[in-house]
Amino acid sequence: MSQWVINGIRAGIKTTAYPAKPETAAGVTPGLPVGGDYPANNVNSLISLCPTRVFSDSDGQIIVDRRRCIHCYRCVRGVERPVNWEQSYEWGTVRDGQHEFGQPFERSIHICVVDAGDCGACLNEVKQLNNPYYNMHRLGFFITPTPRHADVLLVVGPVTDHMKFALKKVYDAMPAPKRVVAVGACALTGGVFAESFVCAKGVRDVLPVDVEVPGNPAPPLAILHGLLVATGRKAPAMKDADPTNLHE
Amino acid sequence: MDTPTLISIFFALCGAGILLSLAAPPSRQGNVLAWLGCLASVALVLAGANALLAGKTFSQPLWTLPGLAATLTVKLDSLSAVFIFITGLVLFPASIFAGSAPASGAAGRALAVGRDADGQSNVSESLARSVRREGAPNSSRGGCAPQNRAFTVFMFGLYASIAMVFLAGDVVLFLLAWEAMSILCWLLIVCAREKEIGHAGSGYLLLATGEAGTLAAAMGFLLLAVAAGSLDFGAIKSAASGLSAGLQWAVFLLSFFGFGVKAGLVPMNFWLPRAYVAAPRAFVPVLAGATLNLGLYGILRVNADLMPAAHAGPGLLALVVGTLSALVGMLYATTDNDLKIMLAHSSIENVGIVAAGFGAGMVFVATNHPALAAIAFVAALYHLINHSLYKTLLFFGVGEIEAQTGTRDMDRLGGLSKWTPLTALAFLAGTLSIAALPPFNGFVSEWLTLQTMLRSAELSSTGAKMVFALCGAGLALTAALAVTCFVKVYAMSFLGMRRLDENQKVSEAKSGALAPMAILAALCLAFGVLPTYIIPALDTATNPLAGASAADNLVPPFFASNTAHNSLPPAFVEDFHNLGAQVGQNVLPGRGLVVLHRGGAKNPVVFAMSTSYMIVVLVFLLLLTYVVIRLWLTRSRKLERRLRWDGGVRNLLPEMTYTATGFSNPVRVIFDAVFRPTTVEDTRETVAEHFRTAIIREKERVHLVDKLVFHPIRTAVMWFASCLARMHHGRFNAYAAYALATLLVVLVVFLLFQTS
Amino acid sequence: MNRPELKEQIAQRWPGQVQCRSESASLCELACARAALPELCARLFLEWNFSFAGLIVEEGASEWQLRYAFYGEGDAGWVHVLVTAPLAEKTFPSIVKFVHAADWHEREAEDLFGIHFEGHPRLGDFILHDDAWQENVEPMRRHFDAREAMRHRKPDEDWRPHRIVQEPGAFVMPVGPKFSGVTESVHFLLETVGEDVIRSTPRLFYKWRAIEKMAEDKTADEVLLLAERFAATTAFAHGLAFCQAVETICGANLPLRAKILRVFLAELERLRQHAGAIQEICESTALAVANAHAGICEEELLRISCELTGHRYLFGLLALGGLLCDLPDDACAKALEKSQKVLTQLNRLEKQLRVSSSFLDRLEEVGIVPERTAMVYGLLGPIARASGVVRDLRRAQPYSGYENLQFDVPGEQEGDGYARLRILFAEARQSVRIMEQAAAALQSGSVREPLQLRAGAALGWVEAPRGGAFHWVRLDEKGKVARYRIVPPSFANWHGFHLSVEKFAFQDFPIMLSTFNLSVAENDR
Repeated sequence: MSQWVINGIRAGIKTTAYPAKPETAAGVTPGLPVGGDYPANNVNSLISLCPTRVFSDSDGQIIVDRRRCIHCYRCVRGVERPVNWEQSYEWGTVRDGQHEFGQPFERSIHICVVDAGDCGACLNEVKQLNNPYYNMHRLGFFITPTPRHADVLLVVGPVTDHMKFALKKVYDAMPAPKRVVAVGACALTGGVFAESFVCAKGVRDVLPVDVEVPGNPAPPLAILHGLLVATGRKAPAMKDADPTNLHE
Repeated sequence: MDTPTLISIFFALCGAGILLSLAAPPSRQGNVLAWLGCLASVALVLAGANALLAGKTFSQPLWTLPGLAATLTVKLDSLSAVFIFITGLVLFPASIFAGSAPASGAAGRALAVGRDADGQSNVSESLARSVRREGAPNSSRGGCAPQNRAFTVFMFGLYASIAMVFLAGDVVLFLLAWEAMSILCWLLIVCAREKEIGHAGSGYLLLATGEAGTLAAAMGFLLLAVAAGSLDFGAIKSAASGLSAGLQWAVFLLSFFGFGVKAGLVPMNFWLPRAYVAAPRAFVPVLAGATLNLGLYGILRVNADLMPAAHAGPGLLALVVGTLSALVGMLYATTDNDLKIMLAHSSIENVGIVAAGFGAGMVFVATNHPALAAIAFVAALYHLINHSLYKTLLFFGVGEIEAQTGTRDMDRLGGLSKWTPLTALAFLAGTLSIAALPPFNGFVSEWLTLQTMLRSAELSSTGAKMVFALCGAGLALTAALAVTCFVKVYAMSFLGMRRLDENQKVSEAKSGALAPMAILAALCLAFGVLPTYIIPALDTATNPLAGASAADNLVPPFFASNTAHNSLPPAFVEDFHNLGAQVGQNVLPGRGLVVLHRGGAKNPVVFAMSTSYMIVVLVFLLLLTYVVIRLWLTRSRKLERRLRWDGGVRNLLPEMTYTATGFSNPVRVIFDAVFRPTTVEDTRETVAEHFRTAIIREKERVHLVDKLVFHPIRTAVMWFASCLARMHHGRFNAYAAYALATLLVVLVVFLLFQTS
Repeated sequence: MNRPELKEQIAQRWPGQVQCRSESASLCELACARAALPELCARLFLEWNFSFAGLIVEEGASEWQLRYAFYGEGDAGWVHVLVTAPLAEKTFPSIVKFVHAADWHEREAEDLFGIHFEGHPRLGDFILHDDAWQENVEPMRRHFDAREAMRHRKPDEDWRPHRIVQEPGAFVMPVGPKFSGVTESVHFLLETVGEDVIRSTPRLFYKWRAIEKMAEDKTADEVLLLAERFAATTAFAHGLAFCQAVETICGANLPLRAKILRVFLAELERLRQHAGAIQEICESTALAVANAHAGICEEELLRISCELTGHRYLFGLLALGGLLCDLPDDACAKALEKSQKVLTQLNRLEKQLRVSSSFLDRLEEVGIVPERTAMVYGLLGPIARASGVVRDLRRAQPYSGYENLQFDVPGEQEGDGYARLRILFAEARQSVRIMEQAAAALQSGSVREPLQLRAGAALGWVEAPRGGAFHWVRLDEKGKVARYRIVPPSFANWHGFHLSVEKFAFQDFPIMLSTFNLSVAENDR
C-alpha cells in the first residue's frame, strides 16, 4: 500500500493555477469564434456556413452568439477565409445581469449535477473537475448526490422529455436560496438536439437559469469559471451579443 | 377499607359478572359488564396497594379439607401484593377494551355487523361457512350469541382464578386455582369459533403444555410438602432449609420447568406464539399481561420465598435460561412480520429478562450478598410490571390494527398513522417503552438489570463471574436487537406509504379502545419517570426474599438532610447534593429523584440515573430547539414543506419502499447460522431460457425450539399413539386377551410386592 | 463458413423460401419468407457462428422491410436477412426464442413503429415509458409529425413496475434517474428482499433524443453533426461509422492519408476512452490514488487530442469523403510521443493495481458473465472479449485500412470485473501500437475526396471503444437521409448488464456498473 503513497508523491502537483493565474497549458479548451469586423463578402458566407446560427450580421459586423456554438469548425476548416478563433475559457455569463450573487454562496458550496439528456461529453468534463488537474475541492466546490444538500444545480443536456419531470423534481427538492448553472450548448439552446420533438430547447424552457456556460462540451476550466461566477468570485464574461434578442 | 374486604369485593364482583352474563345476552349489557370488570380490577389494585404501601397483609384460613390434613388458606403477603397490584392495573384497561371490542378480531367485527343489520335470521356467508366447518349443525344464531356469553363468563372466571393463584397460601388452593386458570385460558382460546380450525389445536397445545408444567410444579410442591409434612406455605418455608441438596435441585428443576412453561421460557416456549395467534383479541392482552406473570410468580414463590437456594447452581441455571430466552425470543421477534407473533416472541424475551433477574437474585442470595440480591429482585419485579403494562398496550394496538385492516402482516401495512393518529401515538409510547428508551419505563428496569449484571464483579467464584459476564453481554445484545425490532414494528406499520388495498377503510379507533391505550401509555410514562417512588414500594416485597433492603442503595434519601441517613457516607451524599440531587426537596415528597447503582469496594464506581430530571431536560431541550430554529434561525426565512427526495422517479409507489422483511433481512442474514433455513428456489421461464417470468424463492425457517424440542416431542407422541392404535384393531378376542394379560401383570406385580 | 457453403445450405434447407437477392464481395442479402425467418436466423446465429448486428426496420411507400443484419469472420462477410410485408400487415414472427440478442431490437421496433412480434414475451414500456406516454404513439412512422414538441404528459398513476421476484417481503428498490454524484440518467429497479439484490431491471431511454427521427429529411452533412454528438465520449467512432455508410453508398474511394489519419484518431479516442473507463473502475472501488493517476492519464489524453485536433473530443474533424482538415505529420508524431508516455503511466498503474489486494478483492468474481451467455446476448466489445467472445470488427470485417495493420485482439475467459479491467489495459496497449504504425505510414496527400451523393442504402460499421457500432443509412434521390438507424454497442451491452448484477450485495453495484463501461447517451440516442 505504501507504494501508492510514493507514486502519488512522485506524480507531483498537477493542479492548475486557475483561478489565481490563467492556465496556459495547451489543449485545455477548444476555443470559440470571435465576432467583430470582417470583410463584407465574408459575413454572409460565414452566416450561411454555420449550422446552428451562431453568427448574425449587425451593420457589417459579425455578432457571435457563443451559446450556440457546437464546435463543428465549419467556419474555420476547409474554408478560404476562416473566422477568428480565440483560445479562451472564461465563458460563464450571467443572464441579464440581474443576479445578486454573494453572501449565501461565498463559502463552500455543494453542487447537484443533473444529466438531462447530455451526450456524455459535458458530463465527462464535469467529472474531470474532480481529477488532480482541476481539483475543484480546493475551491470549496463539492458534488452532492442529493438535491437536499445542494446549493447549486448544474444541468447538462438539452432536457429531454423523459428527464423534464425529474429535473423539476430535483429543483423543487433543493432548499432556497439556489442557483442553476446550465453547462454546454445543449443546455443553453438545445444545441443539435433543439429540433427534436422530445427535447426542450435548453434548460431555460424548464427552469430559471442563473449562469450559462457555453461550449460543446464546455471545457473543465469554463465550468469552473461558471461556478466561480455563480458564487460571485469571478466576474462574468462579457457578452458579444444579448442572447435574448437573437433568433428568438 | 382493609385488604380482606377489598379482596372479597373483587370476588363478589367477579361472581356478579358471571351471573349477569349467564342471565342475559351480553350484547345488551356490554357496558355493565365492562363496569363490573373495571370495578373488580380497581378493588384488586387497591388491595395490592394497600398491602404493599400500608403493609396491610393478611392470612386467613378458609376451610379444612376433610380427609386431607390441609387447610385452604388465603394469604396476601407483600410479594403477592405486587402481583395482585399489577394484575389489577392490567385488568382495568383490559375490561374497558373487552367491553368495547367483540370477542374476536376482524371476523368478529364482520359478525357483529351482520347481526345488527339483519337481525338474527340472516347472517353473513362467512359465518355460516365457519359454523359448518366447525361441524356445528345448529343455527347461525346459536353460533355467536352464546359464544360471547361464554367469553365473558370465562373472562370473569379467569380474573378470579388469577387472583386466587396469587392469594393461595397453601399448595392445594394454589394448584386448584392454577388448574382453573389453565382450563379457562384454553376455553377462552377455543371459544373463538369463527377462526380457522387450526386454532383449536393451539388451544389444546396450550392446555397440554400447561398441564405438563402443572404436573411438574405439583410434583415439586409435593416433594416440599412431604419434607415439611404440611401443605401450608408457611410450614413448607420453615422446613425447606432442612432439605438435602439433591432434593433442593429436584424441587428447583421441577418448579422451574413447570412454571417456566407457563411463563414461556425456552425450551418450552413453543406454545406461546401459537396460543397468542389463536386467542381472541380481547383476551390476548390479558394472556400476555396477566397470565405470563403467574409462571414468574410461581418460580419466585418457590425458589426465592419457600425454599431459598443454598448454593449458586439453580440461580445460575435460571440466569442462563433467562438470557437464552431473551436472546432467542428477540431474534425471532426481530425477524417475524406477524405483529401478534412478533409480540409473542417479545414476551418470551421480556420473561427471559425477568427470569435472568430472578436468577441473579437467587445467586446473590445463595452467595450471601443480600443487598445485591435485593437490587436484582427489584429490577426483575420492576421489569415484570413494565412488561405487563407495555405488552398489554401493544396488544390493544395490534388488536385495533387487525380489526381495522384485517391483517397483522407488517409487509402489508404501512402509513397507518395518517388515518389513526391517536392509536399511533399510544402505540409509539408502547414501542418506546419496550425498546427501553428513556424516559419510558422499559429503560429503567433494563438499566437496573444490566447494572445488576455488572455488579457480579463482587462474586468470589470466577465461573459465576464468567456466566454473569456472558449473560450480561447476551442481554445487552437483546436490548440492541429490541430497538431494531421495534423501530421496524412502528415504522413499517405506522409510517411510510400505505400498502393496504385502497378499498380497505381505516379509521381512528373508538374511545372504548383508545381510552385503555391512553391509560396504559400514561402508566408507562409514569413508571418510567418516577422510578424513585416505585423502587421503595417494590423493595418492601423483595425485602423478605433477599433479607436486605435495596431502597437505600438504589434511591438514596437525597431529599432528607445530609445527616439523616447513616447507611451512606455523608461525604458521598454531600457530593451528590452539590450536583443538585436534592433539587425539588421542598416541593416533592419521597427520597429523591436519582436512581443510584454503586459498585462495591472492589469497583467503587457510581452509576446514577434520573429519568425524572431527564424528562425535564428533554422537554426543555425540545422547547429550546423549537425556539432556536423556529424563532431565531429561520425567523427571516419562509418555511416550506417539500416532497421527500426519491431520485426523481415519476411516481413513488408503495412497492418501492422497504418492507418489514427487507428491513430485518440483515439480522436474518447474520443469524442464518442460528435459523438454518431451508431454501427453495425456482425460476420460471417463457419462450426461451432468458425470458424469466418469475423467480420464486421460499425460505422456510423452522423455529429453533420447534426443531429441537417441539418436533421431537410431537414425533414421540405420535409414535406412541400409533403403537397404541395398532392394538385397537376391533377384534373382540384380542381385547379379551389384553384384559387377561393386564390381569396377569397386576397379579404378578402384586405378588412380588407382597413377598418383598 | 464461407459464402458458397452458406448458399448451398440455405438452398437445401429452405428451397424457395429463402432467396439471394443481391450479392457483393462482403454482403449477401437474403430475401426470406416470414415462416422461415426464425429458423434461418437461429442457424446463422447459433450454428454458423454469425454475430447479430441489428434489426433495421424501414417503412417503404407500401411495405415494411425488416432487415436482420448478421456478420461473420472474414470470408463469411455480411448476411442481411430481409423480410417484407405490406404496411397493413403489422405482425412478424419473433426471433428472440433463438436469437436473444434481438430482444431489445424487437422491443424498440414495437415501441417506435407499432409492429407486433409474435412470440416475444415482453413488449411495450421500453423507449416510450408507459407511465409517461399515451398508447398508440408510433413516432418513427412516416406519418408522425415530429416538428411539434410533444406536450407535457401527466404521469400515469396505474403504472406498476414489472416484477418477477416472488418471495415474501420482496420489494423494488428504485435507483435514479438522478442518483449518485456525476452519473448519466438511468433508472434501475432492483428487486430485493433487503441486503441482496436478486434481479435488476435497468429502465433506460430517459435521455432519448430521437436522433433517428431528427435525421430524417436532413442532408448527410447535417446528420454527421448528430452522429458525432449523440454520444460524444465516442464521437469519432460514431461519426466514422456514419461517414463510412455514406461513403459506401456513394462508392467513394478515400485517399490513403485520410484513412490512416482516421485510424490514428480512432485509436487515440479508444485510448482516451479506455483511460476514462479505468478511472471509473478505480473510482468505484474508492482507490483514491489510482483514481487520481487514471484521471491524470485521461485528462492528458484529452489535452493531446485537443492540441492535435483543436477539440478535446475530436469534434469537427470528420467529413464525408475524408477529413475536414489535414493534420500535420509532426503534430501527429508529437501526439504519438505523448500518448506513448501516457501508456507508460497506464502500464505502471496496471502493474500496481495487480498487486493491490484490496482492489482485486472487489473486482475478482464480481459481475461474472459466462461465455455462452455473452454470446447469446450478443454482447460486444471489451465486455464480450473479457468473457471469451473474442470478435473484433477491425479484425472480423476490417474497414479504413485496418487489414494492413498489425495488432492483437486480447481476450480473457473469466468474464468478471477484473477480466474486463485487464482487457481495457491490453487494448490500450494495442491502440498505441496501431497509432505507431499509422504515424509511420503517413504519406503526404489530400485528406478529402469530393463526394457525389446518390440514392442508396448501406451499413457502416466501426469497432467503437465500447464495441461494434453499426450505422444504417438510406439516402434518397436528393441526397437527404431517408432512414438512419444507429445500433450502438451500449445498446447490446445494456441488454446484458442485468446478467452481471444478479444476486449481488448492494454495495457492489457501482463496481459492476463501472466495469461494464456503459454509456447511457450512446444507448438512448
